[in-house]
Formats: sequence, C-alpha cells, structure tokens
Amino acid sequence: MSTYRILCVDPDDADRAETAARIRSDLADLDPVVETAGSLADAEAALTPETAAIVTEYTLPDGTGFDLVRSTEDVCPDAGVVLYTDTDPETIDTSELRGALAEYVGKGSVFGADRLTQLIRTTVESRAQASYPLPQNETERVAALQSYDLDAPGLSASLNRVTDLAAEHFDVDIASINIISEHSQEFLACYGATQEWESMDREDSICTFTILEDDDVMTVEDVTTDPRFESRSEDLLEMGIQAYMGANLVTEAGLVIGPLCIYDDRPREFSSADEAYLKALAALAMDLIELYNRADAEDSGEWQR
Amino acid sequence: MSPGPEPGYEFPEGIPIDAVPVGSTLLVTGPALSRTEDLALSLAACGTESQEGALFISTNTTAERLLETCRQLQPSFDAARAGIVDCSGQDLGRARFEAQVKSISTQSDLTGIGMKFSSLYESLYADARDGRVRTGLASLSSLSMYVDLRSLFQFAQTLSGRIDSAGGLGLFTLDPTTHDTKTVNTLGQAADGRVEVREADGADGELRVRGLPAQSSDWRPFSLS
Repeated sequence: MSTYRILCVDPDDADRAETAARIRSDLADLDPVVETAGSLADAEAALTPETAAIVTEYTLPDGTGFDLVRSTEDVCPDAGVVLYTDTDPETIDTSELRGALAEYVGKGSVFGADRLTQLIRTTVESRAQASYPLPQNETERVAALQSYDLDAPGLSASLNRVTDLAAEHFDVDIASINIISEHSQEFLACYGATQEWESMDREDSICTFTILEDDDVMTVEDVTTDPRFESRSEDLLEMGIQAYMGANLVTEAGLVIGPLCIYDDRPREFSSADEAYLKALAALAMDLIELYNRADAEDSGEWQR
Repeated sequence: MSPGPEPGYEFPEGIPIDAVPVGSTLLVTGPALSRTEDLALSLAACGTESQEGALFISTNTTAERLLETCRQLQPSFDAARAGIVDCSGQDLGRARFEAQVKSISTQSDLTGIGMKFSSLYESLYADARDGRVRTGLASLSSLSMYVDLRSLFQFAQTLSGRIDSAGGLGLFTLDPTTHDTKTVNTLGQAADGRVEVREADGADGELRVRGLPAQSSDWRPFSLS
C-alpha cells in the first residue's frame, strides 16, 4: 500500500500543530505524511488523489469543513473526512451535504484526541468512508498487482488479441481488460471505444464489484435496474454500457488483479456457457501476463515479440 | 475487528450466540413477520444491565416506542445508559426522555444521522464500562427507500468503521425479502458477519450465525423475554 497522506485543517495555529503532532505520534507505525492547512483554499490546494484522510475544523476563515468534503469528492473520493471541531453538531446544517459523509469528533469530548487518532487509523486502513466494498485480501491483492510489469514489451498487443476474441465471440462493440489498482481502474487492453476511455475512479467502476465475486465472474443484465449501478446508469449509458459481463484475472496465488470485460449497449442476458467462455479467456489473459513477466525476469527475450 | 484480549460482547440466555469480538458489526436479517428487529434490539439493549451503553438509530419507530419495546424485551434495560437517533420524522416537541434522544427530520440526511450518532456515541462511551457501547440500527431496509445503495453502503461502512475503532458492537437489521441478492450481499460487505432469522413453531424464532469464527452455523431456536 502507498504511504497514507493525512491533511489537518484548522485555522487555530496551536490546535492545528497539536493535532498534527498527535497524529504523527499515535500513528507512527503507519509512517504517514501529515500535512497542514489553515484555510479552505490552502486545504483544497493540498488535496491529492493519494490523500487518505482529512481532519478539519468545521468553521474555516473562507468556508466550512463541508465545503472541503465536496472538494474531496472530486479530488480524492476514497478519502475519509473527520470533522474535529468545537462547533456544536446541533448547530450544523447537515442537509446541505446529502449524499456525502463526514465523521464527527468533538474537540471538547473527554477522549477527543485519543478517539480521533483511533478513528483515523480505521478510516485509512479499512477505507471506511469509501462507497464500494473492498476484498478482504485487498492489501495482498494490490501488492500482487504491483509485482507485475504490465508494460512488458509485446504484452499489450497480446492482451489486445484477447479482447478482440471476446468482442468477436459475444458480438459486442467494446471489450477490455481492466486493472483495479488501489484507488482507480486502469485500462490494460481494449477493443473498440474503450481506447478513448481514460482511467476512472474506483467508485465509478463496475469492475470494482467484479473482483469481489467468489466465482470470479459477474454479469449485469441492465445497469439501469441493478441497485449497485442504477445511480450511475446515466453516465454508463453515455459510454455505451447497458449490459456487462466481467471475468477475473486470478494470479497463481489466487489474487484478483482485475477483470476481462465485455459491454453491450442493450440489456442482455448471459448464459452459464457465456460465463465459462469469458472465464477461459480471462485465464488466458492471466497466463499471458505471467509468461511475459517470467520471460522479462529471465531476460531471455524468448517470449517477446 | 480490533485486536487484543478484550472480552467479547455476550448475550442473554435464550439467545444462542456465543460472545462476539469487540469491534464487530453483524447484519441481522429476517423477514418482516419474524422477530428480527426485536432480536437485534435485545442484543443491543441487554448490555445496559452491566453498565454498557446502548445506542439506537431508529428509522420507523419513535424514541418513545423504542424505549417501551426495549423495556419489554429486557426488563433490566437501563434507559439512562441509552441514546437514540430518532429518524421517524415525528416531532419530539418538548418530550423528555430518560435516554439521550436526538432527532433527524428525514432519513435521506445520512450526514445528519451519522453526526448525531457520533455525538451520542461519544457521550455514551464516556460513561460506559470500559467504553463498551452496543449499536442497534433498525433498519437498513427503511433507509434504502430514501437513498441509493452506494450511499447506504457508504453509510453502513462508515458506522461499522466507527464501531470497530471504538471497540463497540454493531447490529444492523435488514429484511432480505424486500431486496435482491445483490443489495443484501453488498450491504453484507459492511459487516463482519450475519445473523439470519426465520420464524419457527414453539419458539420466538430460529437463528443461525454466518461469517464469524467459532460460532455454530446451525439453525437454533431463540427466545426473547
């Protein structure tokens, strides 16, 4: 896993320094990067896609902690936000923040600082405020993904042939092999319009649910009626995705690095034979990744094209 | 779940669930006509007898009715150690309760529910024996009528994370007959295990525990007071 970046935002210099020092001390085993800001503008400038948690006062000189929550949704949607504040929660209008979440810890509570750091630990380690579930072996899964050289010469062309086969077999316009990294989905190989797609946040990805499947295949007959995706179905339809099937690429150690997917622009049912075929192609794609990496490691060039 | 030797959360005789590790959240599922919600409330309320806190998020039932139900289910229930986030939409007016009660006007305001939950949790935690607080959320099914699944999952996961970090116990109820499997499985990802409930002749119901180590996964009858 990458280093946890934690941002402390408080207009009071002494409080800000104390909170940051407490986080550095209590979470020393995580070796976090702790940054500080005294205003909304400075905090927004400090946000990065790698920011894991934000601890903020509610009242800031140029806005509120809720303004920062909204900025966080754009820059680092997986980050957890904790309001660590003197402000009475009864006086905060939470209705303006519907659809987003922030934790609350009162500065004045008898156990405020202790509870704050415990909560930050849980928030960053289990990504507690993310809007999608994580596999139980997420740490090992990401480490396995990072162990592969996915830029090995020739690999991309070979994987593209797998997506070509998938698209042809299922008679669809789009097929891709997607890698689910710590916070995003990246396209490793593709057929059709996916060549125009960029990487996307994990919370927007269908595949982040596919990697949870025990039998390593997931079908979505219609994104507009599936409860996991219906709230994002407008964007998906614009991308030409109404039906979906994904089969996981599973390493020799049983860890999933991402799926091979096909997309249809109409509702569609998939048979067990369809699932079996896509799983076979996904296994082929994984074999190719393993072989190219083995060849790369041996530096034989035998498998390189 | 939090590591460490802290003793787990125990339950009354008549409810065949072994002690559950601190920091756990359980999804308690069963059809509306079963006594699923009564079971979850009992599991959450029973700790007040031994100076634990009990915190409820009540979606359809008013704070007053909830307290009555807890007293019926657990005669030893100590309301002074309880807190309620009342999301029923009923105006509390000048009502006074032995428990700490905060209201929220609409179930769609998950931020408000979460902040009031956190505020009450802090208060109960300070007075509870060893900071032990049990949380009962009844129900996720009701909240699902106001927000989409992703938002509800995020909310449940955030609560579960807070309960974990504080060494508490969470009991979230869900009626699986009103949701498809995808919804139940997704919400189940926010919990450490599941207690499934069904109706049974000659008992208040039967339950089985799934996903928790060292627990029997057989169906067994339970009885409530």
